[in-house]
Amino acid sequence: MAQAESALSPTRSRTRHEAGFFAKYWMAYLLVLPAIIVRFAYTIVPLFRTLWLSLTNMSITNPGEFVGLRNYAMLFQDELFINSLGWTAVYTISATLIETALGLAIAVLLNQKLRGQSTAIFIVMLPWVIAPMLASNVWKLLLYDSTGIFNQTLTVAGFSRVPWLSDPFWARVSVTLVSVWKNVAWVSLIFLAGLRSLPKEVLEAAEVDGAGPFTRFFRVSLPLLQSTTLLILLLRGMGEIQTFEQIYGLTMGGPGTSTRTLALLAYERFFTEFRYGYGSAVNMWLFLFAALVGFYYSWKLYQAAR
Amino acid sequence: MRKRNHRSLITSVILYSLLALTLVFVFFPLYWMLVTSLKTPIEANELPPTLIPRIPTLDAFKFLLERWHYPEVLLNTFVIATFSALGATILSGMAAYGINRLHFPGRSAFYGFMVATLALPGMVTIGPIFMTYKDIGLLDTRLGLTLVFLSGGLPLAMLVVFSALNSIPRDIDDAAAIDGCSWFDTLFRVMLPIALPSFVVSFLLLFIHAWNEFLFAYILSVTPEKRVLTVRLFEMPNRGDVYLPQYDLIAAGGVLVLLPIIPILILGQKRLVEGILAGATQGT
Repeated sequence: MAQAESALSPTRSRTRHEAGFFAKYWMAYLLVLPAIIVRFAYTIVPLFRTLWLSLTNMSITNPGEFVGLRNYAMLFQDELFINSLGWTAVYTISATLIETALGLAIAVLLNQKLRGQSTAIFIVMLPWVIAPMLASNVWKLLLYDSTGIFNQTLTVAGFSRVPWLSDPFWARVSVTLVSVWKNVAWVSLIFLAGLRSLPKEVLEAAEVDGAGPFTRFFRVSLPLLQSTTLLILLLRGMGEIQTFEQIYGLTMGGPGTSTRTLALLAYERFFTEFRYGYGSAVNMWLFLFAALVGFYYSWKLYQAAR
Repeated sequence: MRKRNHRSLITSVILYSLLALTLVFVFFPLYWMLVTSLKTPIEANELPPTLIPRIPTLDAFKFLLERWHYPEVLLNTFVIATFSALGATILSGMAAYGINRLHFPGRSAFYGFMVATLALPGMVTIGPIFMTYKDIGLLDTRLGLTLVFLSGGLPLAMLVVFSALNSIPRDIDDAAAIDGCSWFDTLFRVMLPIALPSFVVSFLLLFIHAWNEFLFAYILSVTPEKRVLTVRLFEMPNRGDVYLPQYDLIAAGGVLVLLPIIPILILGQKRLVEGILAGATQGT
């Protein structure tokens, strides 16, 4: 017990070199390792197995043998993979940008002194508690081509119907729309907190100097929110790049292959065609792109924690 | 943001219209789900659609409660979400305390590892997890799903508890030590009571996450009785006798999945916002 205290108080720990490593740190590792081990078992171990699988030609009919980088070479001749890669990029960038911009706008609006503010915040939060699969069901009811209320409203207003889910272009629009609806709540909350923590004196000083509300927003608030904005872009980018559930629920990647993100492609190769090797190679690309965004983010966190 | 009490009428009108527009965009889809769930199959397909059900009925709910095995599935979802959230909160709470308060080799590497794995898409790991589960008999069990969600919740739980611990001044530890508290007393009598709200925040966040997860639940459960609610959404039963799109069932299913967690949002809104912020803004 006495030795454990040395780890608890950093000032004293340096002087106790005579204490063994185990005696000195057992308490700390006992606290930290259970979480680390569980997390390791469910992330790093399967990740390496995916890497290994991606170098084999294993499938449901084939126990698999090592084929080197053949799966990766095949991917670049696979038009479906290239298309899916392109769509994932377009989707990730557009959904992230729209969510961030719209979320900022909503946060600014919620930050004004308006009646019913707390009710409004509650309502804006609702999509955040909704399962992605549920979000796609909710929107299906609105978007159905024949009898969905969107098309009904358009018809009544004298416009022609929009093939929301059956035309490749519109299906992509719909899928993005649902993601924006679902995720804008989270973005607004983070921005709202950011806006509320802005130094009041600076904003008041700008007002005294005669800056109008727009000047104050674009010249004062927005620059001060820079790190919040970066954080939101990174976290949302990380989320959108791996989107599976909403799209699977709404279009299952269709019509055709138009809304098939990398995650959906990997899912199909692995779990519906049972081509474990090939599906894993798709997954390794997905991992690579998510990691590029994610490790930059965690690097910033890591620096902050030191 | 504005200091002046008098806003011009035009500004007010614009602001309130924008607010109304936002709320309609956010809320209308949910409203539509709710009213559609109360319609008869025929009214749900009627042209033009009715904004308020003419003859409200709970038929769609009755049908789903029976065909979904709703009580069992609800229990599954509840048990899995509760235990995974609880487990992750406890394990991460311990880890967060260790990393935040103790000094040992690898301290910041552990922290970095936990957060870095947040970036790993579930799709990349689920294949091998499925294979392993099949081999060791965890496939199609509540325990298997609980463990997956527990692991999935660890990083967020750690960020939430870590940020709470970070805001407790280190002087308190020292003061307790000077007053003769053992490390054990310091942990359980001093730190834990102060950090407890963050455990609640973490539990609520993870509960909602586990409740809403689909991919792992879908792949790792096989028999209908072992399914959870989100997977049920994807497996709409067929009514058979009515040859119409089953909008009312889709809507009622949505309500059945959403309804149990609405109280959490109403009662815990403040805490959830805290958690969202702690989870997101640790790095800035």
